[in-house]
Amino acid sequence: SERTRSRQHVNLMKLVYGKSTDISTTSSNEAHDTSDEENDGGDFFTPVGRINKNDSEVVDGENANSEDCSKHFKISNDLDIESIRDRFVTGDWSK
Amino acid sequence: MGKTKYKELRGSQILRQNLVLATLSRTPVRIHDIRPNTISPGLRPYEKSLLDLLEKICDDCFIDINETGTILKYKPGIVMGGKNLEHDCGLTRSIGYFLEPLILLALFGSKPLSIKLKGITNDSKDPSVDTFQSTTLPMLKRFGVNPDDVNLKIESRGVPPLGGGEVILTIPTVKSFSAVSWTDEGMVKRIRGVSFSTRVSSQFEHAMITATRGVFNRLLPDVHIGTDHRKGPRAGNSPGFGISLVAETTTDCLMSVDTAVSYGYAEETTELEEEKQELPNPEDVGEGMAYALLNDIGKGGVVDSTHQGLLFLLCALCPNDVSKVRVGEITPYGIETLRNIYDFLKVMFHIEPDPSNQTVLLKCVGYDLKNFSMKHF
Repeated sequence: SERTRSRQHVNLMKLVYGKSTDISTTSSNEAHDTSDEENDGGDFFTPVGRINKNDSEVVDGENANSEDCSKHFKISNDLDIESIRDRFVTGDWSK
Repeated sequence: MGKTKYKELRGSQILRQNLVLATLSRTPVRIHDIRPNTISPGLRPYEKSLLDLLEKICDDCFIDINETGTILKYKPGIVMGGKNLEHDCGLTRSIGYFLEPLILLALFGSKPLSIKLKGITNDSKDPSVDTFQSTTLPMLKRFGVNPDDVNLKIESRGVPPLGGGEVILTIPTVKSFSAVSWTDEGMVKRIRGVSFSTRVSSQFEHAMITATRGVFNRLLPDVHIGTDHRKGPRAGNSPGFGISLVAETTTDCLMSVDTAVSYGYAEETTELEEEKQELPNPEDVGEGMAYALLNDIGKGGVVDSTHQGLLFLLCALCPNDVSKVRVGEITPYGIETLRNIYDFLKVMFHIEPDPSNQTVLLKCVGYDLKNFSMKHF
């Protein structure tokens, strides 16, 4: 139904962006000035209202230093070949 | 004297994306707590090598690492690109680790990039150079990059621990990407792939291919997997073999998996282990990869799980138009990428499940990254 659909949507948004994706006023994660000898000739725009990192850290746990790796697949030969037959041009399209 | 405002970040999990997004959005970053509580804290050799690579292709970038390597300060410069560059990626991570960020940065460079990368071409951890050829680079075409100007040539292969591989990457510059509406994954019409062997018999390849084909032929007849048996200097320094597979759909989507087997990275094996270690059976490797690809195809989406991160980055960097894409389950790396994109670019995706086929639709309005440094010829 439309209702469950919108609920799932909220859940995915929440899973990714955490609870406080609406304007969060937390200052814990704001870039703070770090004195530096280098002259960069200008200030950089730092937006306020960012994700509350404390929320996402609950999800992340101690993962901040886990491996930086994009490769992702699952090897399991218990896959039911019939269940994906329709993803192939040779599948049965009479259904 | 001006003061630099550093964006504060923590940990090394998505260091490459942090560096890419920092560079493209011209945001200086200070990354702290890089493996603070481990036996060997701080940046790994491959991360330092990546920073060296950044210095090579950029002008005026500033990198400062504290003594223990747990704090990195990075102030981005201008990506210059350039011809006949060379970088040794080392032997602690494969060339694929470096290619992912390098491609994005090079596209927004001042001049086209042509660079020779040395090291490990195939391993089990990062996408192989074959996957970049078959799947990653063709993806760029969707976002308006001329495929004739993109090239990756495998001069020699190299597997862990001693590598010896060499590739030449050519990447053009773009003014900007073009937004996509890319949601129809189509149906798989054929399977392609390539196996390779270095310093072992080509029998390993044939055994892998036979096992792979055995799985796929239950679903479709059009399966072609080439071989690439390497000898002499073009085989690098270590024995190994591997396979890369790609499913092509009726709407030209590409889904890939790859792996390589060898005696592993030097840091991971002690001398004692090395003596008794045996390479896995090639039939198991071939069959495992076939099932890995089928699992990914089963999830749906216009890209495979490995390419979700790149897909989201490409969408986020598009002009102020709506991009719309479909993926299977969002991977943990995909989630991290979405968060990272929001953190740097303030681009938030609208994420909605499509219950009709268990996939996920993502929409965003791009950051509108423009290449202002591009030279016109």
